[in-house]
Amino acid sequence: MSKVAAIINNIDEAKNIQNYINAYLLPLKDLSINYIHTFSLEEIIEIKKLNKEIFAIINKNIHNNELKKLEKALKEIEKLNINGIIFYDIALVNLKQKLNLKTPLVWNQEHLTTNYGTVNYWYNKGIEYAYLSSELTKREIDEIKNNTKAKLFVNIFGYIPMFTSRRHLVKNYLETFNLDSKQNNTIKKEGKTYPINDTNLGTTVYSDYILNAVNLDFSNIDYLVFNSNLIDNKDFEEVLKDFKENKENKFLKETGFLYKETIYKVK
Amino acid sequence: MKKPELLAPAGDLERLKIALLYGADAVYIGGAFNLRANADNFKLEEIKEGVDYAHKLNKKVYVTVNIAMHNKELEKIKDYLFKLDEIGIDAIIVSDPAIIKIAKETNLEIHLSTQASTLNKEAIEFWKKEGVTRIVLARECSKEDIIDIKNNIDIELEVFIHGAMCASYSGRCVLSNFLTNRDSNRGGCSQICRWDFDLYDENKHLEGEKPFTFCTKDLSMANHIPELINIGVDSLKIEGRMRSIYYIATVVKVYRKLIDDYCHNSKNYEYNLKYEGILRRVANRDSITQFFDGNFGKDVQYYNGRQEITNQDFLGLVLEYDENMKLAKLEQRNYFKKGDKVEIFGPNKTFKFIVQEIYDEDKNPIDIVRHPKQIVYLKVPEKVSANDMMKIC
Repeated sequence: MSKVAAIINNIDEAKNIQNYINAYLLPLKDLSINYIHTFSLEEIIEIKKLNKEIFAIINKNIHNNELKKLEKALKEIEKLNINGIIFYDIALVNLKQKLNLKTPLVWNQEHLTTNYGTVNYWYNKGIEYAYLSSELTKREIDEIKNNTKAKLFVNIFGYIPMFTSRRHLVKNYLETFNLDSKQNNTIKKEGKTYPINDTNLGTTVYSDYILNAVNLDFSNIDYLVFNSNLIDNKDFEEVLKDFKENKENKFLKETGFLYKETIYKVK
Repeated sequence: MKKPELLAPAGDLERLKIALLYGADAVYIGGAFNLRANADNFKLEEIKEGVDYAHKLNKKVYVTVNIAMHNKELEKIKDYLFKLDEIGIDAIIVSDPAIIKIAKETNLEIHLSTQASTLNKEAIEFWKKEGVTRIVLARECSKEDIIDIKNNIDIELEVFIHGAMCASYSGRCVLSNFLTNRDSNRGGCSQICRWDFDLYDENKHLEGEKPFTFCTKDLSMANHIPELINIGVDSLKIEGRMRSIYYIATVVKVYRKLIDDYCHNSKNYEYNLKYEGILRRVANRDSITQFFDGNFGKDVQYYNGRQEITNQDFLGLVLEYDENMKLAKLEQRNYFKKGDKVEIFGPNKTFKFIVQEIYDEDKNPIDIVRHPKQIVYLKVPEKVSANDMMKIC
């Protein structure tokens, strides 16, 4: 039976959805990107009191001068006794070994978590979980599940980050042409609208659609991830409630790449 | 002072030979499973020919095998790696750890691709323990990062010095997948970052004089070669496996000169702005040092619609030379005519002259050379060699 994992916006939302989920995925402040809201260690401690599984997300590319901050954070997280750390940068693997940390790791290299060979490579290094890419087909996901002992996370609801840069792409444009903007930026092309978020850590662009694959059979997957980024709290709560009650939610069905294989050679 | 390797791109055998002739110490090429799926990638027999050619010159060939594999590629990769090993290539450049695991069953040397976006010494320490012998650093590394890494980990470092940049962290862009259904991490990148978009704040169109784009200027580290050599960077890499022979010859020749000049006489070395001018002429975008000096503000962006500078300087490739007649056989690349002031350059020569006599393939005199790839004969005052190039002054 799959567990429901939620990426949330704040502590209140955590409390409101607690009856519908099994795990919270909490992006750590200053060390995670692609999330609108991040959490301090104190907030993670607060949410842990809700007695659900907790996975901290540390998914930014770690620059060399951020290693001390990362090491400090890992040592603090170790004291929290949470279920795992979802990571992108391989520095975490090395630091876990060097510091003899016990907190499990979840391999989540976003768009690169794409085959069972690599899932197993990390599994054999002691990394028991893998968080699969959203660019895989359902068949590929099933193949990975059938060929690994690793526990898997799969996104089934929410906007999907499709571009992450260290550069300040919105800020640079505004400065170049003396324009002014607050937040809630989007970029538009050929009738489609893509949310774009420029923070102190860089710029993220999201899909134009909300992935909504909650009706598909993912019962073989260990953690089904619902992401509340850019989605109204009430709507998100409703989606989780509908899922628990096995009802259709109000959002358009959108299966992303689950039934659409990408190509890469065109000639 | 250790002289670093100059590493050049090669999209096919012709470009491989040109890159090595014009001064590269090594080339990197794509076969199967690389991030330029739509380039003229090398077949195994071509890789063999390229490796034989390079080794005769005491130079090296690295093969990029740097896609993020899906399950179906897993089944084919092992056989391919064993064949590369048999050929005797000098290293593979990989990003997917599943490939590292298989490569360790062979004698292949393993370089970690910039696609792995390696920015810090902890990650590098991990990869070193895994048997990786060289790290192609992420393009976001600053000078301080490179120094700290070099001072703390004994591993070869490869740094990009010239060419186009990804606007994203390498590996963290799937714009191509979403907008064109082409998998960027398996070589299908359709360069959405060069497209124009309309930027909005809620419903308000934020419209500058040029459209919003992710596009960045290119990288040029010509003015920082001494710093990179002093840091001890092992390999200086030029981007551009899809670039022309003219571009490769020109850029390789400039960096060869910069490296040699500094290593030969570092005390009296002075950066010659002339080289910057040469590099600028063959580029199709402005260039800048990007992250090396910690600057990734508005100056790194390239807002120019989708316009890129096209270059028609390259007039022809020398195929052979008749010393008695002082006639060069030339394959045309761009229009030229009698009276034009031109320059011929090769790996070790450069001279200028005015075109005075041109003959067609049957040796009939002509005034103008209009047709691409047209074979002509040209009176040239100095001795030239096959693979020298002629450009407009």
